[in-house]
Amino acid sequence: MRYLLVTMLLLGAGFGAILESGAADVFLEATRPDFQKISIAVLGFRDGQLPDNPGSRLTQVLKDDLRRSLIFLVTDQAKLGLTLDGAYGAKNVLFKQAVDSGIAVLVWGQVAARQPDLVLDGLIYDGVKQESIASKRYVGAPPVLRQMAHRLADELVYRYTGEPGIAKTKIAFVSEQGGSRELYVMDYDGYGPRQVTADGFLSLMPRWSPDRRHLVFTTYRSRTKQDIDAIELATGKRATLVSMPGLNITPAFSPDGTDLVFASSNEGNAEIYKLSLRTKTLTRLTVNNGGDLSPAWAPSGRELAFVSDRGGSPQIYLMSADGSDVRRLTFEGDHNAAPAWSPRGNWIAYVCRGQDRQYKLCLISPDGQKRIQITSGQGVDDSPSWSPDGRHLVFSSTAEGKSHIYMINSDGTDLERLTSGGVHHSAPVWSPA
Amino acid sequence: MHTCKRTVTMVGLLGLVALVGAGCSKSIQADAGSKSFEPAPSQSKSGSGAGQDAPVSQFGSLPGDSNGKPSGKGSGEERVSEGIAVAKAAPSGSSMQREMQQESAATAAAGLNDVFFAYDSWKLSEGGKQALSKDAEWLKTNGSQKLAVEGHCDERGTQAYNLVLGQKRAKAVRNYLVELGVAGNRITVVSYGKDRPFCRESNESCYQQNRRGHLVVSDK
Repeated sequence: MRYLLVTMLLLGAGFGAILESGAADVFLEATRPDFQKISIAVLGFRDGQLPDNPGSRLTQVLKDDLRRSLIFLVTDQAKLGLTLDGAYGAKNVLFKQAVDSGIAVLVWGQVAARQPDLVLDGLIYDGVKQESIASKRYVGAPPVLRQMAHRLADELVYRYTGEPGIAKTKIAFVSEQGGSRELYVMDYDGYGPRQVTADGFLSLMPRWSPDRRHLVFTTYRSRTKQDIDAIELATGKRATLVSMPGLNITPAFSPDGTDLVFASSNEGNAEIYKLSLRTKTLTRLTVNNGGDLSPAWAPSGRELAFVSDRGGSPQIYLMSADGSDVRRLTFEGDHNAAPAWSPRGNWIAYVCRGQDRQYKLCLISPDGQKRIQITSGQGVDDSPSWSPDGRHLVFSSTAEGKSHIYMINSDGTDLERLTSGGVHHSAPVWSPA
Repeated sequence: MHTCKRTVTMVGLLGLVALVGAGCSKSIQADAGSKSFEPAPSQSKSGSGAGQDAPVSQFGSLPGDSNGKPSGKGSGEERVSEGIAVAKAAPSGSSMQREMQQESAATAAAGLNDVFFAYDSWKLSEGGKQALSKDAEWLKTNGSQKLAVEGHCDERGTQAYNLVLGQKRAKAVRNYLVELGVAGNRITVVSYGKDRPFCRESNESCYQQNRRGHLVVSDK
């Protein structure tokens, strides 16, 4: 099994540019500066009899997961002289030493073979309670070893926040292979990409169903025919949901999974429609001479953000889920598009074009009062999609030349490239938790 | 030519779910420990059996159902699977690639001229109109041939909005050909946005090549 270090691009200097003076009252969920992270030390995983020593890899996977959780401050335990010694488990003297150094949580474990599986034991010691609070055993086939470390990370996040972690989530995206663009799904950290479609032509802009079983996407049935399909990931079974003349793009399931919204030009210009998946009723939500597209659900399911160029340039608008109460949200700049509503409802991420004419990521509050730009520099940033914990965004960017997939904290820090190799990666979308 | 025919084909997702048989085969197409896109699907490993009856498999669980819930101190072991299983991608067996190669050959033989657009614009230039006048002559001479007009965009801007922009470009081309006397029902429009580029460099000469109405002699 090959292991490639996660490519880290910490371009802190260029990011987090705050455009407006209202920045002081902008706080981004758990990334706010006053959030006190919990110091944690990962002592390591014993891997005694196993070939190619997966212990150190597991340690790194867990550390990366904990760092990305933004809940934990991962300490360099080696500097403190904290290492696992020969015996299984850690010694009480080690716990005391760690707690005296200010470490709140200690994690360690071992990985061993139990044919045909691998068994990962994880132990969690709470320095405040001064006791071991959990012992977890994960069992699985060798290819899912990273998933076991992800599970342990999510367990830690759950125990200390009461929220599900994101380490076991996935990202769907589009990647070019041999001249065609196909759907893929990869782990949230960019590992284990798996091809979902192999149509040999062009599939675009996937979105997850709320139960994570399906992706819905635009696919070209022929040179001139564009449909909206759903694919069931576990089986590869396909279903055509929308087949009308013209554009059929930007589909999105409602949060309860009962409706599909999308844009279609079957009656002339692009308009937004809602298809009830229960009754198969089709309702047109927008009526005007401009192009309307990219509907994005509020987590409540009561509102939609969308793009319209009815005012002359593409801008973000809001409307009720029945198409009423339309109002314009963005007024800065002459190109704002690709909205994505945050899981907690308090931000809408979108692509903004600033005075430097670059396409970057911005966040705006649904009342329009707060707006910040979170990426800067060269290249086209596109297709922002929120992590289920609302602390990260995944997006595509040509900042390094070719289009790659990146993860970034919602405050613009910790930019990290997720894809490596390949020709063109685009349209990432984060799975539900 | 605006058709009002509306064919919404719907296969209920609930119906789809019902198709998930027990014991469906799963396969992992890339080494799960790899980030690289270089290993092809031929490296696939069968993951069958791994997590088939996983008591903690996320797959199929309802939102919020047992995700990440602690299972208590000293609890039993958890079976870990891929989480979201992905079936091996199956080629759709479509003859599209071959048809498109034939169309491209027919288009090259016809010598049709493409038209090019300014940034963010779908307005035909004078040069573009002259090119379409020649194209219209060919279409009138070859009265049985059908035409597909593809709208293309440069890499700037969002993927989704460029699909709308490409559609406007393709329609502008069709509308002008109709003005010149070509029957509208001979011309189909389609947008590829920025997803079928003619060149890939991030500079103005490449951008210019990609802001295009591409005319294709169509079989359909």
